[in-house]
Amino acid sequence: MHKKVKVIPCSGIGKVYGLMAREAALKTVHELCPEKSETVCLAYIMTEDEAVRNKIEGFNCITVDGCPKMCASKNVSWIGGRVIDEMKVLDTVKEHKGKKFGSATTLDADGYVVVDEIADKIVKKIKDIIKEKL
Amino acid sequence: MDELKVGVISCSGEECLGGTISRLATRKVLEELSFVSTVTLCLPLYLAGGKEERDFAKVFPTIAVDGCDKLCAKRSTEKYSGKINGSVDVSKIIGNENALNTDTVLIKDLTEEHLQMVDKVASEIIKAISAINPDSYSGKTFGGCSCGS
Repeated sequence: MHKKVKVIPCSGIGKVYGLMAREAALKTVHELCPEKSETVCLAYIMTEDEAVRNKIEGFNCITVDGCPKMCASKNVSWIGGRVIDEMKVLDTVKEHKGKKFGSATTLDADGYVVVDEIADKIVKKIKDIIKEKL
Repeated sequence: MDELKVGVISCSGEECLGGTISRLATRKVLEELSFVSTVTLCLPLYLAGGKEERDFAKVFPTIAVDGCDKLCAKRSTEKYSGKINGSVDVSKIIGNENALNTDTVLIKDLTEEHLQMVDKVASEIIKAISAINPDSYSGKTFGGCSCGS
């Protein structure tokens, strides 16, 4: 179970980009790549409880952040996770200028288009990580 | 009191439905509550050392909303900003089985039943805000959160 790549979003609550990070990460671990990836609650990670530390410390992680503050990446690194890739929602959003993505509560259709693209990027990265290990 | 502000900090846990409900209920309160100004504190930023988020929770009354009984948001907030003014445990409202459901976490998968859970939790958050002692509203000079929320 712990060999799975951890995909950890920020889930930032103030802006739509936090929700997009969350939905992309959850789509990856639940729908696209459930055998090879899993998520761990970021809030739980930061409690530094031994049980969650054992799930993260030294394991391959992909973080997904909604804003340039990169809180998911910082927090996962802080606890000892191996952050293999730092996905930035804004990198994908930049390719969709002028679109309306929704709010921090719900996503519009264009928001889901971006979520799907980010999720595809995460899956590709997971496959790369697994290929490297073979 | 020049300005009444309350901080609401949600765990938004990614592993289970309780986290999704905590996030949505917090958003609902932020968008719909009118008798007091609510500010959602971004927990990841708070945990990453966000000074303005931590200062807000020290100065203004703050409610933690947690999806399960690990109470990560409450514990973290109290670790860095001192005792909070209220705590809502989603698992106590919607039941452990629902809160720990790991199959339904994406917002696109939520049903009417889940949205009713969001409403219930939002009501409990509002109750917790209403129970805050007015003397707690001491923060008159705080400038706001760095994330702009």
